[in-house]
Amino acid sequence: MRSRIIAAVAGLCLLPIAIFAQEFSQVRRTTNAPPKPSGVTPRTADGHPDLTGVWNGLGDNLLGVPNQIANNGLAIESESSTHDLHSGAAIATFPRNSNRPLNNEQSERAAALLRRVGSNRPIYKPEYWDMVKNLDANANEEDPSNNCMPAGIPRAGIPSYIGQTPGYFVFIYPGQGGLIATQTMYRMIPADGRQHTPLQDLDGTYAGEGIAHWDGDTLVVDTWGFNSNTWFDQIGGYFHSENMRVIERFHRDGNILTWTATVDDPDVLLEPWTTTPRVALLNPRPNAMLPESLPCSERDLAHTVTKEHH
Amino acid sequence: MNATIPRTVVIAAIVGLGLQSAGAQGALDRGKVLRAAADALGMVRWADIGNGATRLPGVDVVNTMEFQGSGTSYNSGQPVKTEYHVALGYNPAAMRVEMTRTGPAGGAPQHTIQTVRETYAWDESETGGGLVPGKGTATPAVGAVKDRLLQLWTLPYGVVKAALAAGEKTTVSTEGGATVITFPLSGQLAGITVKATLDSKNFVTRVETRPGDPALANLATETEYSDYADRGEVLTDIQSPGHIVRRQGGRLTLDIQVKMWEANDPYLVFPVPANVRTATGANPR
Repeated sequence: MRSRIIAAVAGLCLLPIAIFAQEFSQVRRTTNAPPKPSGVTPRTADGHPDLTGVWNGLGDNLLGVPNQIANNGLAIESESSTHDLHSGAAIATFPRNSNRPLNNEQSERAAALLRRVGSNRPIYKPEYWDMVKNLDANANEEDPSNNCMPAGIPRAGIPSYIGQTPGYFVFIYPGQGGLIATQTMYRMIPADGRQHTPLQDLDGTYAGEGIAHWDGDTLVVDTWGFNSNTWFDQIGGYFHSENMRVIERFHRDGNILTWTATVDDPDVLLEPWTTTPRVALLNPRPNAMLPESLPCSERDLAHTVTKEHH
Repeated sequence: MNATIPRTVVIAAIVGLGLQSAGAQGALDRGKVLRAAADALGMVRWADIGNGATRLPGVDVVNTMEFQGSGTSYNSGQPVKTEYHVALGYNPAAMRVEMTRTGPAGGAPQHTIQTVRETYAWDESETGGGLVPGKGTATPAVGAVKDRLLQLWTLPYGVVKAALAAGEKTTVSTEGGATVITFPLSGQLAGITVKATLDSKNFVTRVETRPGDPALANLATETEYSDYADRGEVLTDIQSPGHIVRRQGGRLTLDIQVKMWEANDPYLVFPVPANVRTATGANPR
């Protein structure tokens, strides 16, 4: 009963995004492979690719599990073929042997495993291995983005909206509802050739101080000046220090935007870590808008009684 | 890709299973038996998404695991009280076995950490020793690779994965009313044949390994698994054995009661220390 109540609440929280997503869900998908790019890449007057647009066509944030699985590194290519995007290893794949819908418990446990099985994991210094594992195991309580806090960078992933001018970019990340409630977040990122503020002069923030430049046709956003209140991802317990630096790379190919982030945090990581590439699809409607996010009001955690992930 | 199972073999095996309808009777049985064994362990999972708009197939969700137990290990035939802690992963193939042993005469416990990843084996003075200067040591153990990998691939999940990877070389038979899966290992463990016995619930209950080379007689093992349940603090529906008994070279080497088995792909990593890579060589394969 409790699971059904939680599911209903989560469903209501997801409703606006679900409605927005409907037009992208009409093709029944049997794989989590991103679509092939189509269309031309528009360019601005200064010759750079124009990234302006609403970019949550594949639901990088919430639509979800197929993309979340891909985010963590599994490419399911057919009923008999899956491989790990990081290591290249083949993963045993089987046709479903039941058409019976999973119940909530089965579905949550399966989704949690599918999001976590990939091999692309940041390598922390050994003294932090147990800490990461314990944060992950207790993520329902420990995840700093629960209780409607900002997801931070790089967890926020691909912005749902990008506005591009010659001198700066605006990124908008709508808040998420449900059991992973996070707050709406925005970034205003200069691309005017300025240098970073010295780290010691910055007050750490959730989004840090991002500065953009072009590397050929790839937009590079270099960010530091973070607080330590976020994780790298929704899963994993991947905490960081205030000494984290994140290099994001955005590349547009027609209607497809590909994003990766490389995290360097010499205080806690043994080596820099690069996320598995994520992909978003452009909303093709000329009048595309981001719907208003519902106010974030976390009401589910108090009803969570197990350590199972959601 | 792990060092034991060549990637092309895995792909061929999986494709073969996916196209089983056109196969011979033997192939069909093999596919059904391996699927049943994987399902019994809870390895095959899928997600329903978007009111059925997306229907993904089932995939093997077992990668990293951790388990702890206590019992007895044997040192030259002498029983030794043992605390047993294992961290493992299949992508990449890796295992860290930490044992704290107290002899019958008491005294200070002996603590060992034996680690393997693909073609590298080493002993750690502490978990992750040797990765950060001044924090523990890593001692290469080149000759231990096969023995340690064998422990990984003879766990129930390793058996199912390796049997799938062996493709048509895997055979299925019935012995004494029980289903038996027989297959060759590959890569570092090439030349070793595995025979796994399933119970009526399709759980792997007995695993025997037989090396073809008499010089590798120490890799002849028998391991018994029983008392399966979901033992994770984070429940996953993945079933794990509660009792493990292993014999090596005909002698009892380990008898462990499992207290905890986390199967939710916990954060377990196995970076290879630089000195271990150097000692093993640039291209050990």
